[in-house]
Amino acid sequence: MDFQALYAHLQAQGAAGLGGCDEPRAKDPEDKQDKGRAGDPFVLVAVEQLPAFLQLCRDDEALGFEVLIDLSAVDPAAEDEDLWLVIQLLSLRHRHRLMIKSMVPKATPCAPTVAPVYRAAQWHERECAEMFGITFEGHSDPRHILLPEDWVGYPLRKDYVFPKEYRGVSCE
Amino acid sequence: MLDVKTQDLEVNMGPQHPATHGVMRVLVRTDGELVTGAQPHLGYLHRAAEKIGENVEWLQYLPYTDRYDYLAAMNNNLGYSLAVEALMDIEIPRRAQMIRVICAELNRIASHLVAYGTYGLDIGAFTPFLYAFREREWILMLFEKICGARLTYSYIRIGGVFNDAPPGWLDEIGHFCDVFEDKWREYVDLLMMNKIFVERTAKVGVISKEMALDFGLTGPMLRGSGVDFDLRRDCPYMIYDEIWQAGAYEIPVGTGEQGVLGDSWDRFYVRVQEMLESLKIVRWCLANIEEGPTIGELPKTLKVPAGEAYVGIENPRGELGHYVVSDGGKVAVRCRVRGPSFVNLAVLEDLLPNTLLADTVAIIGSTDIVVGETDR
Repeated sequence: MDFQALYAHLQAQGAAGLGGCDEPRAKDPEDKQDKGRAGDPFVLVAVEQLPAFLQLCRDDEALGFEVLIDLSAVDPAAEDEDLWLVIQLLSLRHRHRLMIKSMVPKATPCAPTVAPVYRAAQWHERECAEMFGITFEGHSDPRHILLPEDWVGYPLRKDYVFPKEYRGVSCE
Repeated sequence: MLDVKTQDLEVNMGPQHPATHGVMRVLVRTDGELVTGAQPHLGYLHRAAEKIGENVEWLQYLPYTDRYDYLAAMNNNLGYSLAVEALMDIEIPRRAQMIRVICAELNRIASHLVAYGTYGLDIGAFTPFLYAFREREWILMLFEKICGARLTYSYIRIGGVFNDAPPGWLDEIGHFCDVFEDKWREYVDLLMMNKIFVERTAKVGVISKEMALDFGLTGPMLRGSGVDFDLRRDCPYMIYDEIWQAGAYEIPVGTGEQGVLGDSWDRFYVRVQEMLESLKIVRWCLANIEEGPTIGELPKTLKVPAGEAYVGIENPRGELGHYVVSDGGKVAVRCRVRGPSFVNLAVLEDLLPNTLLADTVAIIGSTDIVVGETDR
C-alpha cells in the first residue's frame, strides 16, 4: 500500500490516537517565508496511545507491520516545547513502510514503553532515554546503554551544555 | 545433571576479548557450564556520531559515516548519501549509480570475508582467516586505486561518486570476479562443510522466525531464520530493481540443511552464499556500465531543503537506516543512524541463556557485529 492507502486504512480501522498526517509538498510560490517540505510522509499519533496503535499496526492483516525498524527522538529546536518521538515500521509481507511521529512535551517528557509490542524497541528506548531524557513508563531495563550511568544531561537535546570535565578529566 | 545447583558465577567476557570483535563486554552468569543470563554492555566505542551530525555541514559529515561500520564503509557512505538525496531534487548519473553498486557489493564481499575468517578464528580454525584476508586484501587494493583509502573511503558522495574509475580499473574487477569464484568454492569446502565446524555451529543459537521479527533483526540474521527478505529486492533503491528484473542475482535464505532452521550455521552459510550473489551483481554492472558523468550538479555550499526522510539500505549486516531532518540550512537538525549491529546484538539477551558456555563464543560470532556500529 502507498501512504494514502495506509492512512485511509488506519482511519477506517479507527486506530487509537491517530491525529492526522503530514506529507511532502512543494514550496508555495506566493509565500516567501514558506520552505515547502521534502522527504517522506508520516502519521501523527498521540503519545499515550502508542502501544495500542502499534498493536493494531502489527496485528492487522492489511497493515502487517512485523518489524519495528527504528525508534528515536528529535529535538527540533531549543525553543520548541515538544520533542518528537519517531518510529519506523516495516512490513515484510506487504513491502511497505510507515513513519510514526508523536509529540512528547519537554516539560513532562514521558512516553509509555512499546517494548511489549515490539521487543526491538527495548534498546532503542534505552538509548532515547539517555540521549533525550524521555522516561519510558513500564520499561523493564531503564539503565543507560551507550553512556556511563553517571553522565549528566541529555546530549542530543539542543540546549545541552558540553561538560567541562568528567570524573576529574578536563574536556576542554 | 542440569538439576544440580551450583553457585552462580558471573564472568566478564570483554571488553578486551577476541570474540567480541572490538570493545564490548558481555556479562555472563553461569551455573557450572550452563549460561543462565547474559547482559551485553556497550558504549566503549561511543563517539557521538549523531551529535556530530548536528554540528557539521551535510558534506562534512560523510567521513564520519565511514567510521560506524568500518568493515563496510562504502555501504555507509551510500546510505547517508541516499538519505540526503531523498530530500534533494537531484539526478544521479547512471555511471555513478553503477560504480556505486560495484563498490557497495565488493565491500559486501570484503565484509563477509572478514566475518567468515574471524568466525573460524573464534571457534578455533585459524587457516580460513588467512585465506579470507588474502582475497580481502585484493579488494582493498582495488578500492585504494579508485579512492586512495583502504578502509575509510568517503568515496560515494551526495550526488554521485567522488571521481571516475581510473583506466583499467573495471577490467581488474572483472579479473577479480573470475579468480574469486574459484576461491569461494575453496572456502565452502575448507570451513563451511568441515565436520568440526558444523558440529560447533549447527543447532547452536537457534533464532526462530518469530523471535527474529520481534527483535527487529535484519540482513543475514533475518534470512538465516528462513525469512526471505532483502531490501535490495523488496524495497529497491538505485538500480537494484533493474538488476533483479534482469535476473542477475538471488537471495540466499537459511534452510536448516545441517541442523535446525535459524542456527548459527544457517546464518553463516547465508553470508557465504551472499558473496557469490554480490559477485553476480558486480558482473552485471561490468557488462552494462557506460561512459558518462559520475557526479550530479551540486551547488558549492550544499543546502538541503526542509523536510525529513528515512532511507534504509541493505548493509552486509542488515538494514542501515538514516533518518535525517533538515530545516533548509547547511547543517542537519537531526541525523539519526539505525545501525544493524546495534539491533542484532540485542538478541543475545534472550539467545544466550540456557546454552553452554562453550557455545557463547560461537553464538556471539554468528551475530557478526561491528562494535563501531553498535556504539556509533
